[in-house]
Amino acid sequence: MINHHPKFELIQSFVDGDLPASLSAAIAIHADMCPQCQQQIAELTDQVAEVSFEEAFLDRFIVDENQSIESVGELNADALDIEDMIAQITLSDDIDKVEPVVEKTMLFNNKAYTLPSALNNMSFGKTSHIGKLSRARIQLNENEIHTSLLQIEPGGSVPQHTHKGFELTLLLDGSFSDERGEYVKGDFIMLDGSHTHNPVSAQGCLCYTVANDALHFTQGINKLLNPIGTFIY
Amino acid sequence: MQTNLLSKVTNAKSSSMSDKIDHPQLCQWLNAVATSRDKKAFTQLFHFFAPKIQRIARNKFPNEAQASEVVQETMSNVWRKAHLFNQNKGAATTWVYTVMRNVTFDMLRKIKGNKEDNLSDDIWPIAESMTSEDESFDDHLENKQLLTVIEKLPEVQQQVVKGFYFMEMSQEQLAVHLNLPLGTIKSRLRLALAKLKMQLGEEHD
Repeated sequence: MINHHPKFELIQSFVDGDLPASLSAAIAIHADMCPQCQQQIAELTDQVAEVSFEEAFLDRFIVDENQSIESVGELNADALDIEDMIAQITLSDDIDKVEPVVEKTMLFNNKAYTLPSALNNMSFGKTSHIGKLSRARIQLNENEIHTSLLQIEPGGSVPQHTHKGFELTLLLDGSFSDERGEYVKGDFIMLDGSHTHNPVSAQGCLCYTVANDALHFTQGINKLLNPIGTFIY
Repeated sequence: MQTNLLSKVTNAKSSSMSDKIDHPQLCQWLNAVATSRDKKAFTQLFHFFAPKIQRIARNKFPNEAQASEVVQETMSNVWRKAHLFNQNKGAATTWVYTVMRNVTFDMLRKIKGNKEDNLSDDIWPIAESMTSEDESFDDHLENKQLLTVIEKLPEVQQQVVKGFYFMEMSQEQLAVHLNLPLGTIKSRLRLALAKLKMQLGEEHD
């Protein structure tokens, strides 16, 4: 059973469309596997939509002090040539056909995984390997935020590390465990600099990971492995 | 410095505070656009939504032109995708909100990340109904069809395709297993895939 969920603030930003693509996709994938969060998202979206399109909402906007109320009122008429825009849009009667979603698979060490549909149009870098870890970077161009698919082969582990920023691990397949317990498919695990952990995967797993800073290995000989931190992140 | 406008306009606009959205009316307009390409209904929708979208977009984009682009793009999507709206699955406001948020999200990614990958519809599907039960059914048919096409390949190419995709052997393992040079395995796989693509492509048209 899924035990780890995105916290409410994240879900709220997700609904508002304010999260980067990396985290938005993570929440969409989690919600696909978690009816509880899916329900919460649906309800919140209804509310946000209702409030956004209520007439009164316009009055609740926070604006610069030097922007007069008159200019707020005139803004729409000035900016939009309504009749012209309607005419242009309705010029063609064509409708958008929606193609059925085609499942995409990805191979890691000859094991084929079905990708979550939220990743369907993302581009992947070449897969690189260190020991039992394989990583394919997802090219999202989000500056310091790096997103990857990380496969751990059975018996593999990531040495004990901490994070300077945040590290999100979304378990797509298989399971792993660390000091805090066992994680299963669908678990949404958000860690920050205050956490140290050493994930081990007995059966192997595939994770979607998002991090905004390199991992930092903290223990003994593993400190020598700090280049791996850059590899995973 | 910022201030909440509410305190300043309470008197002037207090009447509008009680305005409630007429959901059945919005649904009816959307359905009229979907079923009969009704321009009058679309004009009504436009007058209801466009100024609000403009206002909301103005808070997310630095200039007026970009906010207008959000209006233009959102309302064209409403016109072209109205048939995907399903009133049993949610309110018209929720649907238009999703369309607007997706347009905004893709535009912001284009501006900030210089990426035109339009990921929003994968993250927040506009047509939820497309991912219902009949999908697995389609997939099943697809697999069956794929198999028949594979059976039409020359025997030597079939071996490689089946070994690689169904038995999940690596190209190296296949080379050992079939006692062939790795290069041969690779070229057979390439040839087979090209043929499959052509066949499936034709039958999909």
